[in-house]
Amino acid sequence: MNDSVLVLTLAGAVITGTPIALAALGALLGERSGVLNLGIEGIMLVGAVTALLGTQATGQPVIGLVIGALAGAVLASLHGFLSVTMRANQIVSGLALVIFGTGVAIFLGQPIEGQALVPGRRLGGTPIPLLADLPAIGRILFQQDLVVYGSWLLIVAAAFYLARTRTGLAVRAVGESPATADAAGIRVALIRYTHVAVGGALAGIGGAYITVRGAPWDQAATTGGRGWIAIALVVFASWRPIRALAGAYLFGIALRANFALQAADVRIVPPQFLTMLPYLLTIAVLIVLSATDARGRLGAPAALGRPYVRDER
Amino acid sequence: MTDPLATTSAPPALEAVTITKVFPGVVANDAVDLVLRRGEVHALLGENGAGKSTIASVLTGLYRPDGGELRRDGEPLTLRSPRDGLERGIGIVHQHFRLVPRFTVAENVALGDNRLPWRWRRSVVADAVQQLSERYRLPVDPDAVVGDLSVGEQQRVEIVKALYRGADVLLLDEPTAVLTPQEADALFDTVRAMAADDKAVVFISHKLREVMAVSDQVTVMRDGAVVGSLAAAETDPAQLAELMVGRQVDLSARRAARPAGHPVLTVERVDLDAVDGRGALRGIDLTVHAGEILGVAGVAGNGQRELAETVAGLRAPTRGRIHVHHRDVTGTGPAATRVAGLGYVPEDRLGTGLAPGLSVADNLRLTREQPLWLDRKGATESATATIRDFDVRTTGPGAAVSTMSGGNAQKVLLARELDTRDGAVTALVVASPTRGLDVGATEFVRELLDQRRSEGCGILLISEDLDEVRALSDRIVVLSEGRIVLERDAADVDVTELGLAMLGHGADAPGGAA
Amino acid sequence: MIRGWQLEPRPRPGPGVLLAVPVLSVLAALVVGAIFLSAIGLAPLAVYREILRVSYTTGYGIADTLVAAAALILTGLAAGVAFRFKLYNIGGEGQLYVGAIAAAGAALWLGEGVPAAVAVPLVIAAGAVGGAIWVVIPALARAYLRTSEIITSLLLNYVALALMQYLIFGADTPWRDPNSPTFPRGAPIPDAAVFPRWGTTRVHLGLLVAIVAAVVIAVVISRTRWGFQWRVFGDSPEAARYAGISSRQVIVVVLLISGALAGLAGAGEVAGRAGRLDPNGLVLNLGYNGIIVAALARYNPLAVIPVGVLVGGILNAGPALQSLPGQNVPVAISTTLTGAILIFALAGELFVRYRATRRPEAPAPGDEPVAVGATSDGGTP
Repeated sequence: MNDSVLVLTLAGAVITGTPIALAALGALLGERSGVLNLGIEGIMLVGAVTALLGTQATGQPVIGLVIGALAGAVLASLHGFLSVTMRANQIVSGLALVIFGTGVAIFLGQPIEGQALVPGRRLGGTPIPLLADLPAIGRILFQQDLVVYGSWLLIVAAAFYLARTRTGLAVRAVGESPATADAAGIRVALIRYTHVAVGGALAGIGGAYITVRGAPWDQAATTGGRGWIAIALVVFASWRPIRALAGAYLFGIALRANFALQAADVRIVPPQFLTMLPYLLTIAVLIVLSATDARGRLGAPAALGRPYVRDER
Repeated sequence: MTDPLATTSAPPALEAVTITKVFPGVVANDAVDLVLRRGEVHALLGENGAGKSTIASVLTGLYRPDGGELRRDGEPLTLRSPRDGLERGIGIVHQHFRLVPRFTVAENVALGDNRLPWRWRRSVVADAVQQLSERYRLPVDPDAVVGDLSVGEQQRVEIVKALYRGADVLLLDEPTAVLTPQEADALFDTVRAMAADDKAVVFISHKLREVMAVSDQVTVMRDGAVVGSLAAAETDPAQLAELMVGRQVDLSARRAARPAGHPVLTVERVDLDAVDGRGALRGIDLTVHAGEILGVAGVAGNGQRELAETVAGLRAPTRGRIHVHHRDVTGTGPAATRVAGLGYVPEDRLGTGLAPGLSVADNLRLTREQPLWLDRKGATESATATIRDFDVRTTGPGAAVSTMSGGNAQKVLLARELDTRDGAVTALVVASPTRGLDVGATEFVRELLDQRRSEGCGILLISEDLDEVRALSDRIVVLSEGRIVLERDAADVDVTELGLAMLGHGADAPGGAA
Repeated sequence: MIRGWQLEPRPRPGPGVLLAVPVLSVLAALVVGAIFLSAIGLAPLAVYREILRVSYTTGYGIADTLVAAAALILTGLAAGVAFRFKLYNIGGEGQLYVGAIAAAGAALWLGEGVPAAVAVPLVIAAGAVGGAIWVVIPALARAYLRTSEIITSLLLNYVALALMQYLIFGADTPWRDPNSPTFPRGAPIPDAAVFPRWGTTRVHLGLLVAIVAAVVIAVVISRTRWGFQWRVFGDSPEAARYAGISSRQVIVVVLLISGALAGLAGAGEVAGRAGRLDPNGLVLNLGYNGIIVAALARYNPLAVIPVGVLVGGILNAGPALQSLPGQNVPVAISTTLTGAILIFALAGELFVRYRATRRPEAPAPGDEPVAVGATSDGGTP
């Protein structure tokens, strides 16, 4: 079967959407516990550059991914420290993380600016037997790599975790009403720290995946605002993991369609306007969503963004 | 301290021995002794600010005492957190419920229960809830979303939650404050059922009637210390009152000295459509006359907030008219309504009535028309005068309201909204004005309202605390599900009738009040 | 929380702690930067000495620092005036771009022959309007639909960047220099529209505009009815509603002012610094760094001025160090430093709002009960 442009675009959309999905899942985990992490973009940048350096040094893309995850977790823990322990304004703290992360990423990436992994060291595809041979669907979904499959597992696991497990219940309680959770004996700070850190690791993998798949390091273009789209996506997805995955693929399609049109040499619209599309689309969806939501919170965790201080008086 | 039940052989379920707890500037508990026995309802009686809630927090592990110790069944007990308390079978139902509104009852009950398997099953918890609910006469639906429940139902969820976690010492902090008399009676049945099941129940209250009705043993606190511990059968309300207050306090009912005058606030056939299916008002008719207080009683969440905000101009009614001093203010907004002569003291002081981060001076002019260039000198001078006149305890006009005590913040709010110096305010809407205040501040607030009444103000008093409504009002109406279902003269009101009306079994036809 | 200590809210932070937090934050950030520099084999002290030299001690350096500061004060005000009232406009970067586009457009449209007394004010106004326009959608969506302004304003940064790239690289637009067809760049604006400079230095009118704007904003906030309403809204939107203040009006007005201030910075970049719309020259991320300036100044408009000069120097040092022979200091040392300063300042904010006091230690199990005050050493176990 000959792969049409559509099939190839959709397969590419999965690859483009995967970092967004991972980052969105990371943001979602923190937000479900009540911590808004606007630093995702900075974390992804650091993940991307450390993974590239790590893979170059070891020749193992998997090690690159692990390094990206660790770097993300460390950076996110910094945000956890500021917002949980130091009760800082989470919005400003997240922005500080973006700026600091960008600085660190450019700093570390200076020697490799513009470089990409040589093809032999990139993360390659792992077709799933039988499923990969399905017409169209096989090419789109089952000739992908381990990170793509892993992201599906993680998303489903996270949805199950939040909805059905005892710890998931505790996480949701901490995000909705930390005082209630505290009174029920749940360690609010511990839950927030772990979920922000794990969320940071996921965003780090998201960034790492971009370079490990072979994209060159360029601080302005490697992530290109996908961390911010991920944060918006959490809102679109009403804080539900599986919806976030679906949304990430939609954005993957929007970004890929852009490339496809540019590649097809469509000259009616200048490429810069195509570049704007995903961002404008995100803004439009956000606005439409809030227009249809009477309460204006779109189902956000009630304590999102608020530091918890046990009432000692 | 003598222990009247010292002859009993079994050690008490929980005992506080010379517990001391200090907060910056305040000794909240001063060497408090408390003996809680199984099968006994132990009332903890005292005014707001007497230290009841503090000792409750120490007993349940929220606060760590600065001195003294706890004993559980005779053994020393150290609690590091509420979780420790729960694990040792000590539960509490707070005045402000600790429930996640978006969770179902079962989820709220399961929260924090480590005995459940990691992959917990809702049905297991729901069955347990069902059993407890039947055993202790606490009707709750495990699958209901807590945010949709009434206050009384939420309280039952809280009790079920504590029992489910295996509490055999259960503290109830001011449990009747938001209940109707009938709901309170049902709660007393539950309390007795728990005691009969050999649990130690602590009933924290400042209401003598309830304490006498439900308890076996009464410990009275004042100014952070225990001033007496007596068997309920061997004491009487007069003795308890004297112990509790330590001085003469006049919190008795106040009525208008003169007959009411002309109407100052009229609400005619007002409807308000619901937002999110909540808070609708239907056919509200009210008239407040000069020199009277019209009390609005009702269970929380039956439209009180919406009524107050509609009258004050914060919400535009869907239908109907509102007049302040013969001026039609319907839909003109809060500023115009205020100019027409209506003051509004909202229930939520810090955050609505006051901007907590702003200074006293700024807060005192919050609802005044401001010139383009602020008169900073004038504001400071006027604030200094108000601080003096109302005896507000603060470091000065520049101090942020958030640094002040609740009573002093309420004084700032009242000083602004009840300011009749320029003769502008002729009508007032006042919501739960004494909630959370200590006895001195409560007395001050009631005196102030009484004074304004005698000066010819017409006051609409909205409160979920029936005692407060009865203590101040000349006439009482009951608000239930957004309708006025009963109207009575305060002098000849029947509590049972009021309670039934609050529960929606009103005697009058809707809109029957005038 | 460390055992044995508790936090007590401070009624009013004293000047000591207000000054100590930023100073210690800068010092701590320098330590972090030193670690990074050492890691790549550079001598931190030498680098810092260079930063001091290139940004703060030579006349040329100070002038460059002030040029950057002019823009940073304005973007700092843009972030500060919004953040102070809990309106999180993080689209300063995009608003600056569009302000620059509008300013360049106005200057080019006016052309030669218009007197400077007309052209310069018009260019300034165009910059402000351009910046304000770029925040209209986030402002209206927030005011009328309660759409969070954070993400909408941020995403518009990417749109503005693409728009600017289109105007210079995408097609033959009036913004593009027709005399440089192979290396696309912005068309030079007419001399009359160029901001006057101070003597022979590169310090331009933008610095004066920035200082005047800071004073005006400070006065409006503390002395006028509008500022009063903003303060009430920022402290408690519920209290504002109760007081009859229109939240929608506050949201729209504050955000438009915020956007206009960022747009003014863009006008300064075009008419003061570059003399043309210059996408490649906007490497200092002035919009994002304005957030750092605002946060370090604790959203106080007057404090934004010195903080803008400080941060301007650090940011300027990056490219300046790049051009030093033989040193190869990564340009990103500046961003890393400013980011770290902000992180430490945020952590220090806790000590501005609270005071750490020793709490009497609870007795360990089995200990004799202790009287109040007569505690053991109270140290951490």
